[in-house]
Amino acid sequence: MKILRMAWRNLWRNGRRTLVTVGAMTLALWAMVLYTSLMQGMLGSMESTLLDVELGDFQIHADGYRERPSIWERIEDPDAVLEALDKTGLRSTARLLGGALVASGEASTGALLKGLRPDRDAQVSDVYQRLDRGEWLDPADASGVVLGYRLARTLGIDVGDELIALSQATDGSMANDLFRVRGVLQSLSEETDRATVFLVEDQFRSFFALEDGAHQVIVRSGEGQTLDAAGEMAQEAIAASAPEAEVKSWRDLLPGLANMFDSAQAAVQVVAFVVYVVIAIMILNAMLMAVFERIREFGVLKAIGVSPRRVLALILTEGALQAALAIAIGLVASLPTLWFVTTRGIDVGQLGGTAIMGVSMDRIWTGAVSPATIAGPVFILLFIVGLAILFPAFKAARISPIEAIHHQ
Amino acid sequence: MLSRVNRLSVGTGTALAVASLLSAAAAAQPADPPLDVLMRATDDAMRGDSSESRITMRIKTERWQRELRLHVVSEGTETALVRIEAPAKERGTATLKVEQNIWNYLPKVDRTIKVPGSMMQAAWMGSHFTNDDLVHESRYSEDFECAYRERPADGSGHWLVRCIPLPDAPVVWGAIDARFRAQDMLLDQAEYFDERDRLVRTIRYEDFGPLGGRTLPRRMRVIPADDADEFTEIVYEEHAFNVDLPPGTFSLRSLRQ
Repeated sequence: MKILRMAWRNLWRNGRRTLVTVGAMTLALWAMVLYTSLMQGMLGSMESTLLDVELGDFQIHADGYRERPSIWERIEDPDAVLEALDKTGLRSTARLLGGALVASGEASTGALLKGLRPDRDAQVSDVYQRLDRGEWLDPADASGVVLGYRLARTLGIDVGDELIALSQATDGSMANDLFRVRGVLQSLSEETDRATVFLVEDQFRSFFALEDGAHQVIVRSGEGQTLDAAGEMAQEAIAASAPEAEVKSWRDLLPGLANMFDSAQAAVQVVAFVVYVVIAIMILNAMLMAVFERIREFGVLKAIGVSPRRVLALILTEGALQAALAIAIGLVASLPTLWFVTTRGIDVGQLGGTAIMGVSMDRIWTGAVSPATIAGPVFILLFIVGLAILFPAFKAARISPIEAIHHQ
Repeated sequence: MLSRVNRLSVGTGTALAVASLLSAAAAAQPADPPLDVLMRATDDAMRGDSSESRITMRIKTERWQRELRLHVVSEGTETALVRIEAPAKERGTATLKVEQNIWNYLPKVDRTIKVPGSMMQAAWMGSHFTNDDLVHESRYSEDFECAYRERPADGSGHWLVRCIPLPDAPVVWGAIDARFRAQDMLLDQAEYFDERDRLVRTIRYEDFGPLGGRTLPRRMRVIPADDADEFTEIVYEEHAFNVDLPPGTFSLRSLRQ
């Protein structure tokens, strides 16, 4: 108790030095919290765009579809596959895919039509929540379609406008129909933005004269389940209904992107490490100064019979008090910043839509907050302060009074 | 598609003149027929100021087969209008080609679509012709460097001519092997190779006979190299050269009729 009171008094005997030290720690903590939040937010939003909206955890295709996509390479009985997956508890949805020429006025381009059942699909993919404007598909509005924002721009159309699609039906005849734009999506990925049109399953079937089958089944892993375990489960479940089909995890489907996510995590850690080293040096410097300036004072304490252990305890307590102050101020200062980056976010839309390996970042870069966002930086700060203070503290504790008095 | 027919078919008075010229030359000394004359005659065989024809197109693929009745009018080699007359489901569907542009008219939705550059390699109406076949007006005598490859020993059989596109010619092929019947020097087969000299498709010209006042192949069959069971066959039911076409025949408005 006496030590605590002494330490507190010591801190304010040179208030300016203390404020500088506490200020450095506060700033470091604030920067670390912000950095962690933004990085978590970016990786989280990219991963959720990729998995929750685009890929799912697994995709099932008819054998050979991925090598050579064709309207003919279908999973014969998708309903049986979905039913089998339902029994395992894995969420799944079937999609139909077919290429077409889409046009409006003089503008036209190639696009991939994706047919789905909105109610079922919504359990698996969040794409229905990612509309920039307009509305998502509705089975009651059969001719309504939703398309990527760059495709809409290429064709010069917007919600309410008509869209012509032209392709070849499975009976060899010319498939052509008139659709109406119901909604335009946000930037999701290169492929979706530029060349994807979503429509309801029945409309897809009548357009392509395709009565049965599906080209793709998207599956999500269960809660807390590893990718491998879920994959085996799905493979087993569909063994009876679609023995020929191949089950691929998103990591198999997009190995480049999977690697990128892994290395992005590593990169975040490397940058964090560098930031922490800089902060550590800063704090170490402040601590060293704080101790070595007062070597004579510690010599006097030793001379009047204070034990080395108590000197050590005094210095550590001073450090702890400063750290506690810094954490208190730092966290209070972080709150408005965190509130800002999570609710408002940083508008990176002016950069022209940032995509990393085909996966779009949200136009608004928002931070994420979890216990780790705050706990991580706090523990690291304590660790650094502890490390930075131990060396000078030991040195001061063990110094002999004679030496200290002659210390310059 | 029609222009490709034009371009590749052979026959006509010019060709007959060539043939007689050739036989005269052959009598004098066994020299190769002059290639430039032959290729120009081949290029011009189906050419007229204008033409009008009714064509049956049969398409057979691995999964389906169907038959279309087409009405085709053309002017020069730059302009053509193809309209489907049967089956009923697709009746009225039409393609207009003017220079390098293609428009499709779709009666079901009553809209016209301009085919974009990215879709030029896509199949035209499900056939083994691509949209690109419609617009590329290459001529053997102008866009290719041709040379004899094989010659008949005794005046029967076939002449084989290999044509390599000139460096700046608007041609997607690496080479074309054209085969001529020795008896009348009419083109009866053309093999198309890609840039790595792999066969991409073969076009056979058959059923030679009078057509629009010339001697021409009345049947033409495209066989893709990667699937020998598939083909697109064109049969000329009627054909007339130098017909009077009303002004505005090749307009977006007439496309919609």
